[in-house]
Amino acid sequence: MKRCAAACVAATTLLLVLVPGHTLAEQPPLVTTTDLVEQSASWDGKIVSFKGEVLEDVLARSDGTWMNLSDGNNSAMGVFVPKAVAMPAISWTEDYRTIGDTVLVTGVFHRACVEHQGETDIHALSVVVVRQGSTKDNPVQRDRVVWLIVLALALAVVMWFYYHKPSENWGTHGNP
Amino acid sequence: MVRRVWREDFRIIGYYTGLITIGVGLLMLVPMVTSLVFREWASAMDFGLSIILTLLVGYLLALVSRTRNTPGLTHAMVIAAASWLVAMVLSAVPYTLSGHSLSLLDACFDTMSGYTTTGLFLLQDLDHVSQGLNMWRHLLTYVGGQGIVVLALTFLIGSTGGGYKLMVGEGKDEKLVPNVRHIAVQIWRISLIYLVIGTGVLGILAITGGMKPQLAFFHGAYIFMSAWSTGGFAPYSQNMLYYHSLPMETVSMVFMVLGSFNFALHYAVWTGNRREILHNVEIVSFTITVLTTFSLTCVALMQRGVYPNAVALFRRGFFQLISAHTTTGQSSIYARTFVREWGPLGMLALTVAMAIGASAASTGGGFKGMRMGIIFKGIVTDIRKLLSPERAIVVGHYHHIRDNTLTDATVKSAAVIVVLYVLIYVVGAVVGMVYGYPMADAFFESVSAGSNTGLSCGVTQATMPTLLKIVYIVEMWMGRLEFLSVFTLFGFIAASFRSLRRQKVAA
Repeated sequence: MKRCAAACVAATTLLLVLVPGHTLAEQPPLVTTTDLVEQSASWDGKIVSFKGEVLEDVLARSDGTWMNLSDGNNSAMGVFVPKAVAMPAISWTEDYRTIGDTVLVTGVFHRACVEHQGETDIHALSVVVVRQGSTKDNPVQRDRVVWLIVLALALAVVMWFYYHKPSENWGTHGNP
Repeated sequence: MVRRVWREDFRIIGYYTGLITIGVGLLMLVPMVTSLVFREWASAMDFGLSIILTLLVGYLLALVSRTRNTPGLTHAMVIAAASWLVAMVLSAVPYTLSGHSLSLLDACFDTMSGYTTTGLFLLQDLDHVSQGLNMWRHLLTYVGGQGIVVLALTFLIGSTGGGYKLMVGEGKDEKLVPNVRHIAVQIWRISLIYLVIGTGVLGILAITGGMKPQLAFFHGAYIFMSAWSTGGFAPYSQNMLYYHSLPMETVSMVFMVLGSFNFALHYAVWTGNRREILHNVEIVSFTITVLTTFSLTCVALMQRGVYPNAVALFRRGFFQLISAHTTTGQSSIYARTFVREWGPLGMLALTVAMAIGASAASTGGGFKGMRMGIIFKGIVTDIRKLLSPERAIVVGHYHHIRDNTLTDATVKSAAVIVVLYVLIYVVGAVVGMVYGYPMADAFFESVSAGSNTGLSCGVTQATMPTLLKIVYIVEMWMGRLEFLSVFTLFGFIAASFRSLRRQKVAA
């Protein structure tokens, strides 16, 4: 028991020595799109952390770069990275066949950004890639191939009847 | 007295519904090719399966009910209403197979929203769908805006005697030229020319905004189809926010307004009658109601200090207002921003704009500017009558392509449709309130569905009650077809049961 307590104290001491004090003290809160939209007034102008997958297009503009970060189901936030802020290399962006890089952004949240005419956005102070993207499997399912063949055969039969066997009484019915 | 329903009635309805269904199946070739181009094999397989299933249903219907008889007005109305339902279900198959819809009902919600150019969606993880499915979503709104029946008339049905009635059943009751197939061709010609221009302009803007060139023109086409058809879909869940681009928003807004105009007005302008723009009752009505509702929006946003300056207020407020008034539903703010920041007055302004909506015989929904103009002129004429000597004959007029005399029947028919719209708006809102949504949210979302707008304040989600999803589907369907064909379908079903009962009694 004593050994265990000593190990804990040693580990804590080591952590305090290795991790700079200001990192622990000033780490801005990690927020989601829902948090920012639902409580936009209370987050307005504050420094926040936001983590999300980089969507398809990284839009380079003259004054900086726009990224859209997806942080859940139908939930994404626009992040503006000014020219002065170091932009890491984004190797993977979201696509049907790929998972985009996950980045952690620290920046200032704007409920209605003055610079971008009222846009709800985050102006990045730092951008870090925390997870590399990857390819995604979208395999063709074998049972669907079987269904395709079966239905195609049925369609061929119906089309043959439609185009080659016009019913004899077609059009002989009186108008109702 | 309601006439009896005969077997031949079912043949006519079945045959034409079958042909329209074949048209829907052929339309799926476009997203399948898109998937193949982007090497999305699983998605291409889903579309292949859906195409074959849809064609099978269409050919079976056409085969078993084949007839040379042409549809009468009743058939046309029933065909229009029924074919939209059949198209909704079959078009939902690719959604379901993609795994992005939680249920067939959710998929049907999305396809009805697409065809009716509404723009509400329940699709899950929209940011990760295939290009093929995105193409399908936007193609639905593009075709739905012009009309599925119009498409079938152009390519499959030809100049049948009942063709014009079929178009009327779908809410396209403008006789641009004498031949019905030529009307359909004119509508498609106008739409396709704008498609080329819109895709080009928006694609170039997307490239200058930093998008990859190979995707920019696809996005250009999507955003054009969404704007011109007053649909409101976009390839990503952030909608127009994804692009962070004022030029794209501006061009999109221009196409929203163009799409919300009457096809007869487009045709008149294209054939040289440019003065029509200044005198048309719908343009006058649209201008007045836009100015009124935008003023209200500005008051609401300034009261609450939502935007830091006039430029921001104009960019966000005017875009949202035009999007609402043209019943498009594209958005450059988050859905919940309406509730959290715009507040009840801002939401009311947009709700009124959505309720009034676009022009008649356009891709848009709502009461329509024509009806607003007619009712307003009717009231003015009645007041003039009251103020004139008893012997004086006071006749009102309104200008649409030509000067038209305002009759009591015209005013009554406009008022009846407006009342029906109000009714579906209220029913949808009441159902929403019964489920516990606040009144402003419930009305906003219900009017958005009934007027085929598609702006959401957060009510429309996959987790919302099933009944509310069904109510919104019916609202979208009725609102797009302007009631009469849907009521005729219900009446036809009732008459069919009555005829069946009579046959049994006779036997």
